[in-house]
Amino acid sequence: MSNFSVLFQKEWRENVRNFKILWIPLVFLLFGISDPLTNYYLPQILNAVGNMPEGTVFPFPELTPEQIVMTTVSQYQFIGMLVITLGFAGIISRERKNGTSTFLYVRPISYMSYVYSKFSVMCILVIGSVILGLLANLYYTNVLFGAVGAGAFVGFLGTYIVWLLFVVSIVLFSSAAFSTAIASIVSLALVLFVQFIDALLGAYWTISPWKIPMYAGYVLNGSVDKTPFIWSLIITLLAIVILILGAVYFAKRNISKTKI
Amino acid sequence: MDFESIPWMLILPLLVIQLILILVAIIDLIRVSNTNGPKWLWALIIVLGNLIGPIIYFIVGRRNE
Repeated sequence: MSNFSVLFQKEWRENVRNFKILWIPLVFLLFGISDPLTNYYLPQILNAVGNMPEGTVFPFPELTPEQIVMTTVSQYQFIGMLVITLGFAGIISRERKNGTSTFLYVRPISYMSYVYSKFSVMCILVIGSVILGLLANLYYTNVLFGAVGAGAFVGFLGTYIVWLLFVVSIVLFSSAAFSTAIASIVSLALVLFVQFIDALLGAYWTISPWKIPMYAGYVLNGSVDKTPFIWSLIITLLAIVILILGAVYFAKRNISKTKI
Repeated sequence: MDFESIPWMLILPLLVIQLILILVAIIDLIRVSNTNGPKWLWALIIVLGNLIGPIIYFIVGRRNE
């Protein structure tokens, strides 16, 4: 276990030095705050810049607080996932390329703690940023639109964290298996493209890891269908374990690709 | 809409966070030894690209070696 703490500290220091510890939370915070604001002031913004003819009336729909939180989540589902996949695509493959891993692989470290240290630092960064952003979003929604039920929000947050763990393990796996460029394409395809396909054709099945964000929205509205939701959670957790074990396997197998 | 009626208490955190993001990107740009593409272009993108500029710099512009 001492292996793990050393590797964890190394990983942490790297993320402090390249400012990831600062800019990723700020990005999520920014989107979390700006969404309720733009939704609330949309009529005034259109009035100020829209160049509308006199007397134009837009019937703006009355948005519930839950809908505002969900628009922010859909924002996170696109821009946030883009930031996570592209920002962390090199987390293992970069070390093979720049020679850091040469220093690591000559020592008797266990690959499990090597991958696990990366996984835990990524989880702290990603989940911490999203929680920070969603709490800021909740505050603004509360001020501008009205309260969201605390219990429903906690359930929603827990469900969404499972999805984030899934994304983090996809990125980790593809970074262990491929080079940085291919890893970013593969993880983008697996996170964004498959989700798009699932939204398009997903009416035919109800159990899928890519449906977790949708179920999180249902939990927030208090209208979730228990059986497919629980099964999706179980399948996703299994997929996370398999992806991490795969990452360990590929990190071990790709030793020969290390640049010396 | 005139100046006083803008709810500054609500909008101020947004501006502060955006300013911090731009500052962090600029500090990083100064410290890092080389980027993908010319540095002055990245400085322009960070300052003028308002919200997306610093994000694009951190993802694309930094060369992590």
